[in-house]
Amino acid sequence: MFETVLLSLSEGFVKSLEVFFLTLIGAIPLGLLISFGSMSKFKPLSFLVKVIVWIVRGSPLMLQLLIIYFGPGLIFGNNWWGSGSEGRFIAAMVAFIFNYACYFSEIFRGGIEGIPQGQYEAGEVLGMTKSQIFFKVILMQVVKRIVPPMGNEVITLIKDTSLVRVISVYELMWNGQSFIKSSGLIWPLFFTGVFYLAFNGIVTLLLGYAEKKLDYFKV
Amino acid sequence: MSILEVKNLRKSFGNTEVLKDINFTLEAGEVLSIIGSSGSGKTTLLRCLNFLETPDSGLILVQGKPLFNSEDTTAKSDAEIRRSRQHFGLVFQSFNLFPQYTALKNVTLASELQAKERPDYKTNKKYILEDIRKNGERLLTQVGLFDKRDNYPHQLSGGQQQRVAIARALSLSPDILCFDEPTSALDPELTGEVLKVIKGLADHNTTMVIVTHEMQFAREVSDKVLFMDSGYVVEYGTPEEVFDHPQHERTQQFLLRYSGNE
Ligand SMILES: Nc1ncnc2c1ncn2[C@@H]1O[C@H](COP(=O)(O)OP(=O)(O)OP(=O)(O)O)[C@@H](O)[C@H]1O
Ligand SMILES: [Mg+2]
Repeated sequence: MFETVLLSLSEGFVKSLEVFFLTLIGAIPLGLLISFGSMSKFKPLSFLVKVIVWIVRGSPLMLQLLIIYFGPGLIFGNNWWGSGSEGRFIAAMVAFIFNYACYFSEIFRGGIEGIPQGQYEAGEVLGMTKSQIFFKVILMQVVKRIVPPMGNEVITLIKDTSLVRVISVYELMWNGQSFIKSSGLIWPLFFTGVFYLAFNGIVTLLLGYAEKKLDYFKV
Repeated sequence: MSILEVKNLRKSFGNTEVLKDINFTLEAGEVLSIIGSSGSGKTTLLRCLNFLETPDSGLILVQGKPLFNSEDTTAKSDAEIRRSRQHFGLVFQSFNLFPQYTALKNVTLASELQAKERPDYKTNKKYILEDIRKNGERLLTQVGLFDKRDNYPHQLSGGQQQRVAIARALSLSPDILCFDEPTSALDPELTGEVLKVIKGLADHNTTMVIVTHEMQFAREVSDKVLFMDSGYVVEYGTPEEVFDHPQHERTQQFLLRYSGNE
């Protein structure tokens, strides 16, 4: 039995990892884009972006999952996401990437706006171009500032991956819970906790390592 | 020909006119000190010279060549503005060193980025970068910080940081080096080392514009002194003329206040 459980949980864990990594890969660049939008000097754009970010951050991710998955079918009579588990997975990823991009964008915005104006001006009077200033002067300071808050979000994301089960994406916790119905076993569900904790432990170590690596300078 | 001519320069922020008709000239190798009370527009003037602010009207000529001319309405490209900037260097009150780079890298970064635009960069990369590093080390030696070249800014005292900032501002060999109250952010015991470096530059005929509240220093180091008050040049002349025989009441009052402090 233990092997059956372990196998099933491992399969679910792989799905959770997919959600985790695809969300990071999608949400970091999108979040940077959104942060630029919210800092835009073109007021209508920055206003619109800020409203969207407010809505996404102010409502439950679970609700967003449901709306994004069921919305197109119910509103337009047409399920964009395609049928079957693949369609559900795509919808889940869209919801996750967009949600996390909005959270990340606020962190990026705070990080970028926190850089003193003097850093830009020092680059300017040295004849640097705007992109040189951003990539050679500003970016690294932003990275250093945002590692701790990003770390918090990433830890939250690990746990949030379990939400995709509401649209029947079979991740770790779904598989763990399924043994209650099928075999009357509760311990597989508890056992999923070990996976989450272990993964969390590894990510926490990596984040600590990153912070240490950036310790060579102060901002 | 004068190295710098500023004519009829004006600048407003919203409804406040901060610079009202600024005129002065500076000869190559001269040191100009700008003095004046808080809010008189000294920083704004330096920022206009360094293209951090765009004047509303007026003319800025370097070696007779107009770098800024409000009459000329053709829009300047970013690249043109960057080229105009190269005539000036600016040392900030708050140093503004790049915290993620060592002292040496702070000094060499801009040169390295510019070298990338050279057509022979790919073929001669090693020699070009070697030259830049040597030049950076020479400048750090000049400000007395060669042995701190591998330190990061947070590992340096304020005075040392400002000296690195001076080396950095010199790295692109500007025609005119500007200082905005270079010692105001420093503890009193650290101002001396920075002033000494500036004095050294003056002895080597570096053309400089120095905004300062250090009257004694201004008197020693300057060829010309300019007293600004609420956006006007009130007094302009040699240190003897301005400090010992000020013509205007406002200058006299200002100097009296300062001699009281010293
Ligand atoms: N970006 C800005 N927007 C609006 N007003 C400004 C701006 N920069 C400067 N000012 C105003 O312009 C005036 C002159 O400022 P400036 O910084 O040039 O004075 P300063 O002579 O350098 O003073 P200090 O000795 O205190 O440094 C001040 O009244 C200031 O409030
Ligand atoms: Mg000032």
